[in-house]
Amino acid sequence: MYLSGLVKKEFGRIKSDKRTLVLIFAIPIILIVIFGLTSGGGPTAYFNAAIITRDKELCNCYNSTDGYDDIFIEVVDDDCEAWGLFDDFESEDDDDYDKIFDKCVELLRDEIIDVFIILPDDFSERITNDNDTEIIYYIDGSDKQAKDAVEVALQEPIGKFRLEIGKTVNFTTMTPYLEYEVPFWESQVLNYAFATIASMLILGLLMNLTSLSIVSEKPLPRMLLTPTAKDEIILSKLIANTIIMILQVTEIFIMSAIFGLYCLGSLFELYLVLLMTGFCGICMGLFISAISKTEQVANQLYMMFFIIVIMFSGAFINIESLPLAMQIIINSLPLSHSIPLIVSITMKGLPIDYAHLASLALISTTFAVMAYIAFRFKKVEV
Amino acid sequence: MSTGNLKDIVVNVENLEVTFDEKKIIRNVSFNVRRGEIIGFFGISGAGKTTIIRVLTCQISKKNWTGNVNVTNLSPGSKKNYAKILSNIGYVPQLEELNLYYDLTPLKNVEVFASCYGMKKKEAKNIAMELFSILDIPEDTWNKPLKKMSGGEKKRVSMAIGLIHKPDILFLDEPTTGVDAAKRYDVLSYLKKLNRRLGTTMFLITHDMEAALIVDRAAILRDGKLLEFDSNSNLITSLPNNGLVARFSIENLNEEKINIIKRFPNAPNIKTIRVGNETLEVLMDDFEKNLSKLIQFMMENGLKINAMSRDVAAFRRYFQLRIQEEEEKERLIRIQQDAIEEVEI
Ligand SMILES: Nc1ncnc2c1ncn2[C@@H]1O[C@H](COP(=O)(O)OP(=O)(O)OP(=O)(O)O)[C@@H](O)[C@H]1O
Ligand SMILES: [Mg+2]
Repeated sequence: MYLSGLVKKEFGRIKSDKRTLVLIFAIPIILIVIFGLTSGGGPTAYFNAAIITRDKELCNCYNSTDGYDDIFIEVVDDDCEAWGLFDDFESEDDDDYDKIFDKCVELLRDEIIDVFIILPDDFSERITNDNDTEIIYYIDGSDKQAKDAVEVALQEPIGKFRLEIGKTVNFTTMTPYLEYEVPFWESQVLNYAFATIASMLILGLLMNLTSLSIVSEKPLPRMLLTPTAKDEIILSKLIANTIIMILQVTEIFIMSAIFGLYCLGSLFELYLVLLMTGFCGICMGLFISAISKTEQVANQLYMMFFIIVIMFSGAFINIESLPLAMQIIINSLPLSHSIPLIVSITMKGLPIDYAHLASLALISTTFAVMAYIAFRFKKVEV
Repeated sequence: MSTGNLKDIVVNVENLEVTFDEKKIIRNVSFNVRRGEIIGFFGISGAGKTTIIRVLTCQISKKNWTGNVNVTNLSPGSKKNYAKILSNIGYVPQLEELNLYYDLTPLKNVEVFASCYGMKKKEAKNIAMELFSILDIPEDTWNKPLKKMSGGEKKRVSMAIGLIHKPDILFLDEPTTGVDAAKRYDVLSYLKKLNRRLGTTMFLITHDMEAALIVDRAAILRDGKLLEFDSNSNLITSLPNNGLVARFSIENLNEEKINIIKRFPNAPNIKTIRVGNETLEVLMDDFEKNLSKLIQFMMENGLKINAMSRDVAAFRRYFQLRIQEEEEKERLIRIQQDAIEEVEI
């Protein structure tokens, strides 16, 4: 095997291409810094909350004295970086509840608190039985930015609460908005941006890098007049670009941590997803490079692929409402898996969804195999 | 033809025929090459020079050719011989950019290609340094990116890369094309130098007749046929009177005047080559005896001779004559065929 020499050559070529290197390593830094600074470096926004619990604790739950509502209150009070507890109220009956509710609305209007949360009367019961439960929260809906921020930040206590009790119950958060009229489906700020930006950056830049790696190598036909086999050449490209990819992903990972990435789930799993996304980009790039006759064609194909991948990432279209054929297309492209994976790991603190991860692996493999076949049949002549 | 023993034959081609899309590109070509020879492949564009070399370098699938071909005693007809053959031969493409990574330094390039032959870095570096010094590549450029080197230096690095694994045979595609006149001789003399120092067999594909200066044997190709395969001097002495030519400078030279000369009665085998606007070279049997008669004949026919000199034909003349002769033959055959067809109708 002459692989190590070939891999070194690939590095030599990548290294001498300063423009691409800058693209690969500087752009993520710039974007993360901008994005980190504008969003205040992560969840530094601090929310003051009041909690009304109507929980009847109609069960022998958690332990005999505390219900799950108390745990939730504790989590908000002690464990959450973005949250402070203004007060908690226990309502015994409806009269009581009405009075407390009015008081909280007043606090909200006076901007003493940012949000008040209501835990329903079957809170502990449903959690004990592993049923989904709901959390109702009231905010000042007129302040759209605050509303968005609270919506995202609410994932923190929920995630931490899940960890604390060791259950993955689903919480439906509801904002009735009584007298406020701001739609509640607005996209979220910090973490949602991370999921889209990071996966697009990684996929796009690496696809760009690799999409030129075969077409732009002029001495390639000459290389094939040595005992070196085509297999080794394409493998060396895969290896060299993968190493660059690992460096880039690590950089993005560290940079975003420094600039306050808010990740509720496992950091390792997040890293894994980013790596898989990068690998997809490399395999797609190699495929483009293998089927292109000239650099110009490769550049155009790259643009086309990238636009399609972004359009069908699911970030702009709601996938479920589309016809089946469309859903299949979207699911065979990487971002429709990467983005939900990152969102659910960082914001929801959910464990990794292996179906999505497997899809990413499948997409990469498919493109790698297609690149290999295309390269085998590619006519290269001196 | 060959007197050397069989072991010394590095390339052996018998009855090679190459067909692309039902069209015969190479017809019945046979030749042998001995170790250490420099072979020149001459022929006008489209003659099939590159095609023959591509057969020898495993670039044409066996589907497209028939015949018996051996390169370093291995047949490029079988895929499993490819790796062995390719490690026994070197190749220098016409354009350096197809042979070199311009972003890397000469030594890095050496390393890359050496690793393709499974060579150790150290060993490759030693060979490279030897080659670089034979080729006078300045030492201070060895570690600078290739794109900063001059065209001539790149060409020489390219030759060194072709020889890095000490191949038995080196193929060079148009090594002097695109190089200015003075440097052309440099390239040729470097090739000769390498050939003598390393004993590498070399194949030059070329349009450049000057390359004949360094070749041991020249192959002349036309239309896929191998017309001649012999040494420069043998080819020239096969001309009438060992290639002696008379060069005339004739006022207002034109086709008509040339045709008059061709009718010179004393030497029916007379050959003419127009080598300039007013310059004509003439070869004929019994040169010494006929020369004065020719001059007289020309003057009698109203040709005004401004100057005259004698010379021995260079390879360039031989090549032109040989191609002319072939064209003439083909023309005659065509006329005959047409005549036959007419009779049939
Ligand atoms: N792959 C191919 N398919 C079809 N025809 C081909 C192919 N390769 C070469 N030919 C034809 O074979 C003929 C000989 O080509 P070749 O390249 O060997 O010529 P050459 O002597 O090297 O010419 P040049 O001096 O221009 O390089 C040409 O007419 C060319 O069109
Ligand atoms: Mg050619």
